[in-house]
Amino acid sequence: MISYAVSNAITEKRPWPIAMAEPEYNVELMRRIAAREDMALCELYAAYGQRLYAYALRLTNEPALAEDIVQDALVIVWRTAGRYRGEGRLAAWLLGIVHHTAIKAMRHRSIPISDEMVTGLPAPTDSPETQTQANQQAQWVRDGLQSLSPEHRAVLELVFYQGLSLDETAKVCNCPLGTVKSRLSYARQHLRGILSRQNVEEWR
Amino acid sequence: MTAHTYFEEHLPLYAAGQLDGAQRAEIEIHLAGCPECRADLELWAAVSGEIHTANRPLAAPPALAEHALDQIHAPNRLTSAFLRTWQLLRVQALLVRHEMWPASALVMLMGVVVALLADRVNFIYFLAPLVAASSLAMLYGPENDAAMELSLATPTSPWKILLARLSVVSGYNLLLSLGATLLLLFIAPPGLLGTIILGWLGPLTFLSALALLLSIWLGTNQAIAVAYGLWLLQYIPFAAIGPWLDSPGLASAMAVYRQFWQSPLLLLLLSLFLIGLALWSANRPVFRLTSTPS
Repeated sequence: MISYAVSNAITEKRPWPIAMAEPEYNVELMRRIAAREDMALCELYAAYGQRLYAYALRLTNEPALAEDIVQDALVIVWRTAGRYRGEGRLAAWLLGIVHHTAIKAMRHRSIPISDEMVTGLPAPTDSPETQTQANQQAQWVRDGLQSLSPEHRAVLELVFYQGLSLDETAKVCNCPLGTVKSRLSYARQHLRGILSRQNVEEWR
Repeated sequence: MTAHTYFEEHLPLYAAGQLDGAQRAEIEIHLAGCPECRADLELWAAVSGEIHTANRPLAAPPALAEHALDQIHAPNRLTSAFLRTWQLLRVQALLVRHEMWPASALVMLMGVVVALLADRVNFIYFLAPLVAASSLAMLYGPENDAAMELSLATPTSPWKILLARLSVVSGYNLLLSLGATLLLLFIAPPGLLGTIILGWLGPLTFLSALALLLSIWLGTNQAIAVAYGLWLLQYIPFAAIGPWLDSPGLASAMAVYRQFWQSPLLLLLLSLFLIGLALWSANRPVFRLTSTPS
């Protein structure tokens, strides 16, 4: 059966509701931004800044670059706010802009998204004896996530943290739904491989 | 019986808490009988937990919206270039010798009055280039600009300062001459307007450019003397001065010389060359220093 820790993680209270109808407030907010209201952009950032920054940081792993990306994304939001008409969730729309900006910024800085990043495993952390088993697990998962490409990390972040559906994730990443599914499947196999190599018996 | 891949695909969503009650129940039934999926679920739960743990301490960086707004409201490059040019022109217009503005206008006005009284349209040909040349000879150099040292210490390069003043003062001279020409329509038929303007435009431009260049090289007074001399030379009636100057050779040379002042295209081309030379000279400290305060 499902262990206590797992069910706890599943029912964990999320910082924002998942899959709800877009509140009128957000549509109004975007209308105010389209009407060139400075305060509206600040309100949008107050509401969504943390999520957008978390996503940019997940993609880049560089706080300074992530900040630049969010700032550039806000400028794009300002210019294109009129195109948002409440047809999808605002969070997904905003994350799509951050995704696009981040991919462009990373391509510009020519950070390679290569096999090397996918297969290159970080060295295990020192003195495992001193760590509790739970800490070790967390560390391996952390290392495993780092060894994935930004595209794979993006899908995991969108599904598990941002609470997006697979369809929304596909839209944010600007790829077909099948690609999202195959990225999830690849991430599962990749992480499993790492964990089994780390001899974590119960995850065999 | 639903395929195993269906559950494999939906487990991440289950772990993310994204499924409704019926879907959850369906998955939980499958999980009870499938150790592989239970292992997967533990994996996804660990991933979800790790991502949440990593993101929890993150806060939105402060003032990013304000920075974005600054970026949004910053004037774009073209506008700021226009703005800078306008500022340069305005500042340099203030730095040019103040007495030049009313003096040029007054001389021009007197010329027009004389021309109107004497009913001589040609007077504008004679006067406009002289007024313009003297104002441009006073445009640049330490003897004309108390703030010269200060201007040179600014990041704006000397040739840009010179070009700014040249544009402002030449624009003023052109307007003066145009105004004078319009006044002359009292005694001239309107059909002649274009001919009159073309008559003074070439000499005015060339003499201005020459005076500017010479003022940079030699100093203001010398520039005015040379420019005026060259201009007045064509009006000297050599034959009337004495019989020893009444030679066919000199007469034909003077005819060619007068013809030169009546070729607008040639004069404008030469002016461009001289202005380019003046701008280049402004950047050469050697040339600049030759005009010492008198």
